[in-house]
Amino acid sequence: MNARMFAARIALPVLAVIAFTGEGRAADFDWKKFQGKTVTFLANNNPVAQALLTYKDDFEKQTGMTLKVDGYQEQQMRQRLVTVMNAHSDEVDVFMTLPSREGEQFAAAGWYADLSAMAKNEVAKEYDPAGLSQALLKAATFGGKLTSMPMNIEGPIFYYRTDIFKKCGLEQPKTIKEVEAAAEKIKACDSSVTPFVSRGLKPAVAYTFSNMLHNIGGSYIAGGKSNLCSAKGKEALDIYSRLLRDFGPPGVVNYSFQQISALYRGGRAAMSFESSNELRTVMDGGARLKDTALIPFPAGEAGQVPTVIGWGMAVSSYSKQPDAAWYFVQWATSPAVQKKMALQGIAPPRPSVATDPEYRKWIDEEPVRKEWQAALDVLATKGSSEVGYPIVANPESREFIGQAVQDLILKQKSVDQACADADKALDALIAQK
Amino acid sequence: MSDSAATLTQDRQRLELSALSAPAVIFTVAMIAFPVIYTVWLSFQSFSSTGNQSFAGLANYSKLISDHEFWHGLWVTLALYVLSLALQLVFGVWLALVLFHAKRLPGIVRSLFISPFMMPPVVAGMMWLVILDPSLGAANFILQSLGLPPSDWLASPTWVIPTVALIDTWQWTPYVALIVLGGLQSLPPSVYEAAQIDGASPFKTFQRITLPLLLPTIVTAAILRSVDLLRFFDIIYITTQGGPGNASNTLNVYGFRVGFEFFNIGYASALMLTLTAIVFGAVLACNRLRGAVAW
Repeated sequence: MNARMFAARIALPVLAVIAFTGEGRAADFDWKKFQGKTVTFLANNNPVAQALLTYKDDFEKQTGMTLKVDGYQEQQMRQRLVTVMNAHSDEVDVFMTLPSREGEQFAAAGWYADLSAMAKNEVAKEYDPAGLSQALLKAATFGGKLTSMPMNIEGPIFYYRTDIFKKCGLEQPKTIKEVEAAAEKIKACDSSVTPFVSRGLKPAVAYTFSNMLHNIGGSYIAGGKSNLCSAKGKEALDIYSRLLRDFGPPGVVNYSFQQISALYRGGRAAMSFESSNELRTVMDGGARLKDTALIPFPAGEAGQVPTVIGWGMAVSSYSKQPDAAWYFVQWATSPAVQKKMALQGIAPPRPSVATDPEYRKWIDEEPVRKEWQAALDVLATKGSSEVGYPIVANPESREFIGQAVQDLILKQKSVDQACADADKALDALIAQK
Repeated sequence: MSDSAATLTQDRQRLELSALSAPAVIFTVAMIAFPVIYTVWLSFQSFSSTGNQSFAGLANYSKLISDHEFWHGLWVTLALYVLSLALQLVFGVWLALVLFHAKRLPGIVRSLFISPFMMPPVVAGMMWLVILDPSLGAANFILQSLGLPPSDWLASPTWVIPTVALIDTWQWTPYVALIVLGGLQSLPPSVYEAAQIDGASPFKTFQRITLPLLLPTIVTAAILRSVDLLRFFDIIYITTQGGPGNASNTLNVYGFRVGFEFFNIGYASALMLTLTAIVFGAVLACNRLRGAVAW
């Protein structure tokens, strides 16, 4: 049988049957199928979950199910998850996860249920799984298993004060070198503000540093070995730490998103490199609404390779009701709910929502929102999900990146020594199975 | 009643008492013994990053010896312990004396003095994090208003341990003071009357009478604070997460991160059991001291 005959006689009919079956299942889909059941959701108490849970009653009304929310701060949520999963407990049905951080690890531990079949066969007509960001779906796929559905899209972006730039005779920085030059000029021009602020807290550094490394053209691993001591790696470490040490606020080694947003919102920083999720916090009170511009982080020698990640919703492999749990995941990541969340400032992982007229109207209300969306579009198209080392022990790898950066900010080591120490520790992590 | 009948009745009473108290005993033993035995068992296991588990023998304990982070964590734990305990005992005794002698102090002022230890450590940590922020906090504002140079406080590898010790001292000194105040109130007045007749100065009275008589109470306070201080966690986790670098990475914080962030439950269990042994050792030493100073 030649290829054309195979296509005509076997492949096309099979595909047609699959498509027809899928359509049929979508038509048969009943949101009330699991009426009366209770689904437990382990949530990270961040803006994404907060926006989603505003509509908890809608879910319960639509499905007849009860949603039990177990909400914690991020670290405490992981602590609870580790305890529950190590005990193989069915206490949690659905949990929030960051595939870029723990995806490899949780997938290898077998904690994620495979959502591939459910996302194909058990979907409402309006769900449109293909409409979700393919990059984020790919980032959530490990060993051919789809482990979570994206809730949002986010990444670090560059916030800067247009009024201070104007006062100091500065233009929008196009490159990393121009960021440093602008910081230098602002330091001389307006001593009342911190020229530049970004993450200095050890476990948080990798989120922003990765963007810098990739823009410069560096990589975390080369030839199976840690690559921080490569020329590009050292350059990234040097520039990132120098920006924070020479132009950042005192105590920046304890700075994560809370301190950064507070500093910038309070008008005490001229440039901030922080998460797109912080838009709502930064604009809270309206003081920064008219004097802030947003762009993806300026280019390095490799151009712009922004970091893009997204929180995902996963079903526990120990859940005794994965089908009911999937209904919650599906509702939470549906176009309708993601549109509602988008109107609260949660960037949607669906291009269709990003072009929705109602959402566009909200975006068009303020220039800063337009810039925010434009920056997110760049993240979605050019972004890399590599935050820290692409290994199972990714969370631990972030420690060593953060340590190297802190050693340089605090002037405790030279660049060569800091990267060599980090590479040594990271090589041991890479070698771990 | 014959002897054998009396013995039978006694045996029966004993049996009944045992049966009645058995549920409580079983529950208590299970609640204490099970977690400890389970942790001991975990400490002999090896967990890969993916959660795969295998018997590791003494590997986790031998890793402790060569682990630089363990020794550093031990040093940080002991430094914080000694500094905090010394400050809390000195200021606790002083505060107790103030409260004891200032009989006319209004109740609201007394309550204010002792209020910090009623605050949850997480809230205290958050509050001090804001106060000590080098850019936005009130602490540097006050220093600069007084013409003094600002400090990096929690962000300085040099100052982070004294700063954390000060936060803990602020919170727990009133607790020590309350214990010492109880001790002061139970001291026999006749000794003070005799000292007064002999013409002893207030300082001599404190040095020769109050302090020696208070020593058992002070050691009790030291034991109670030792248990907490050696397990120092919450304020550090809220304020520095063990940083900057590893400058405030106590054994407890290190163990938590190894277990719950890097998922190496076996090694974390070995770390925690070692810390438990240190706490037991400190309590035993303090108990001996209490025996030596008892009157």
